[in-house]
Amino acid sequence: MADQELTDRVRELIAENDVLLFMKGTPSQPRCGFSLRTVQVLDSMGVEYGAIDVLPALQPLREVTTEISDWETFPQLYVNGELLGGCDIVEEMFENGELAEALGVEQPAEPAPAEAQAPASDEPYKSPPMTIEGS
Amino acid sequence: MAADLEELAGMIEAALPGASATVIDETGTGDHLRAEVSAPQFEGRSRIDQHRMVKAAVRERFDDGTIHALTIKILD
Repeated sequence: MADQELTDRVRELIAENDVLLFMKGTPSQPRCGFSLRTVQVLDSMGVEYGAIDVLPALQPLREVTTEISDWETFPQLYVNGELLGGCDIVEEMFENGELAEALGVEQPAEPAPAEAQAPASDEPYKSPPMTIEGS
Repeated sequence: MAADLEELAGMIEAALPGASATVIDETGTGDHLRAEVSAPQFEGRSRIDQHRMVKAAVRERFDDGTIHALTIKILD
């Protein structure tokens, strides 16, 4: 059973951030290859997004997302309050143009982000005003 | 216990009547399984919902620790 206070906090964050990424590490220092790849896709789209490092509270957050989204692995990308998917789905939707549509932006003309280097320091990522600590 | 690829494909096809599922062991270690699935139930559903349906079909094997990770490829 997920912690109610944490569940409420996560629901708030999803509601407050049009584009929100739950990831392992941060956009500038991803701690997992799947999180890195998802960050690269998002950065190539040129949208601002909130990012939450799940590592300080991995198991509690896993329980929360299982309860609210029926999804227990990270990264998880939420767009307009809905879980869009993890790395596989985000990359697939990037390639077929559905991600740009969901984000309401133009499909970037750049090559696929799989070939990109680590994210640049001027990435459009923005941090939401929150942290989630381990309990 | 090693994952039984045939069993997993069968579980997906049983949960989604009319589906066609293939499960392969990408690395030969049993750690990186990949399921390629097409199913009439996918029609009109979002990609995440399609993945949820496949995961739900094999949840028992996640819960008992037989499989840890499953890459899902939906064939349209």
